Amino acid sequence: MVDLDAGTLTTRELNLKIKALAANGAEEIRVLNPQARHNLAVSVLAPCDITFEGSVGYFCASLMDGPRVTIRGNAGWALGDNLMGGTIVATGSVGAAVGSTMRGGEIFVGGNAGARAGISMKGGTLIVAGSVGFMSGFMMQKGRIIVCGDVGDGLGDSMYEGTIYAAANIESLGNDAIFDRISEEELISIWETLEGYGIKEQYQFRKIVSAKKLYHFDALERLEKTVI
Amino acid sequence: MVRDSSQIWTPSVIQDIHAKSDLGRYRVRGFSTFQRVPHFDDLVFLSTGLTRFPLEGYKEKCETRTVIGKRFASEPLVLDTPIYISGMSYGALSRTAKTALARGSAMVGSSTCTGDGGMLQEEREGARRLIYQILPSRYGLNPHHIQQADALEIVVGQGAKPGTGGLLMGVKVLDDVADMRDLPKAIDQRSPTRHPDWLGPDDLSIKIEQLREATDWRIPIHVKLPACRVKDDVKLAAKAGADAIVVDGMQAGTGASAEVLLDHSGIPTIAAIAQARDALREIGLYGEVSLIASGGIRSGADAAKALALGADAVAIGLAALIALNCNRAVEGVDFEKEVGVPAGQCHHCHTGKCPVGITTQDPELEKRLDVESGAERVANFINSMTMEMALLTRSLGKANVHSLEPEDLAALTIEASAMAQIPLAGTDRVFGR
Repeated sequence: MVDLDAGTLTTRELNLKIKALAANGAEEIRVLNPQARHNLAVSVLAPCDITFEGSVGYFCASLMDGPRVTIRGNAGWALGDNLMGGTIVATGSVGAAVGSTMRGGEIFVGGNAGARAGISMKGGTLIVAGSVGFMSGFMMQKGRIIVCGDVGDGLGDSMYEGTIYAAANIESLGNDAIFDRISEEELISIWETLEGYGIKEQYQFRKIVSAKKLYHFDALERLEKTVI
Repeated sequence: MVRDSSQIWTPSVIQDIHAKSDLGRYRVRGFSTFQRVPHFDDLVFLSTGLTRFPLEGYKEKCETRTVIGKRFASEPLVLDTPIYISGMSYGALSRTAKTALARGSAMVGSSTCTGDGGMLQEEREGARRLIYQILPSRYGLNPHHIQQADALEIVVGQGAKPGTGGLLMGVKVLDDVADMRDLPKAIDQRSPTRHPDWLGPDDLSIKIEQLREATDWRIPIHVKLPACRVKDDVKLAAKAGADAIVVDGMQAGTGASAEVLLDHSGIPTIAAIAQARDALREIGLYGEVSLIASGGIRSGADAAKALALGADAVAIGLAALIALNCNRAVEGVDFEKEVGVPAGQCHHCHTGKCPVGITTQDPELEKRLDVESGAERVANFINSMTMEMALLTRSLGKANVHSLEPEDLAALTIEASAMAQIPLAGTDRVFGR
């Protein structure tokens, strides 16, 4: 294990060290005193374990592919933004846009998440043990969002594909989002996923998908009618 | 005088009402605005006489080398010409067209730009310099590709459709285009217009830092703005930490846009450049933050006037496609039969039926564009533009295109004078000042 004290390093120095250590095969990196700083562990593209001993700011572990990141605390906006692969665990709560545009990997939030959780998701799995804010799953394209707590307004607005599972109160569904029947196999799969994070309660989830009514303009230009 | 038809209810207005009464929605098309607005043609250069000496127009050296984004980047974008190819997506354009643009830009020491939808490997391999766009949709965004970029460009909006996201009709959302964007095939793709992970300028500064950290502060970060409230937007983008700011005027081209946005939003490019320049001056960052102009730039004269107004470089989109053969009556292609209008009037990029294989995903149509000859034409065109710029610059007695300045220009109309803040020809008066 390599310890890095963020208190003695600039963000730039810290990120350069993390990336160099990961590229050189370091297996475990521990960051002390992260001071809720923005842009920590951005674009780490080699596998390794990174643990933040405290809260982090915006864009932590974003543009990342491969590492396993643990945050022992809270995180700011866009945790795991555009994640390609790897896992992120935040033990506390996170701000808006967690997992924005993520394309793969898995993010687990132990507390609550702010607005726009899983916005424009393109793959992977986002799990929130607590509640999420408004417009979560907005324009989601692929992947899975699992929310054990309550959900704010406009869930799954304009989603293309992908699936949202919510266990508690849903303030409202967004445009073109509809409830779908959840199968026993899906429930078991979700419970198994949650058990991996120490959640043993077998919540009864509701499933939300796209009605696919926004896929097309409802009429074509006259010219298009002749050439398409 | 008695007119024989209404000047308000013109045939095109009547046809537009008929079309919308059939459709029940706004109309969508490609190309650019059809509005007549003040443009570069409304400005002329004041070449030398007795007050200053010209350089030999066809011989003496005139520098065109251009450096973009030296504010914070350790490896700024260095181009042999101030003209590069703007962001146009793979999806809007064919793979062949994207590859030809990349290779053509490399042949003249310039750059191309990915556009929405991700990076093609052929594009990266063909380009000497590649600007990688970060758009609200984040289609195909890949941190491994970011590492291969020579600059990043955060797109806040574009001149052809300010305040809205990209538009790609289902006929073009096929196979690998859909796969690269993680979208269902054949949907009418209407991209988000707000970025998912940041909203205002304070967040933007953190986003810019994220991209700098992702690239170890090596390459420039551009911010592209639609030309609307230019002064405020440019100041905010500069304060947020941009190395370069692109202002995209209302004459900018597009593969598909709602017509109402094309014709009724944004301001002309000449006005946008003048406002952007003044904004950077007011906050003491003119010359430090690079200013790039785009939107309706068609020739070396347009590019030279943009530089004289205050830009460091220009980006061309539609002009590069026309160099590739857009709207050209090539042998064996019947425009009237295929898109219903003659060559020279086609604006049907959104239909995917491009008769010359540029704005299409149809493999048969795509065969009509040859990569090698297309790249050659793009290179020839940018080279011609660069030579035109140098010729004009020498005629003004200057040896560097970046020495062009507002004082070198006169306006032909009161409107152009007021918008570009240039004296009306034959007077000392700048209207609106």
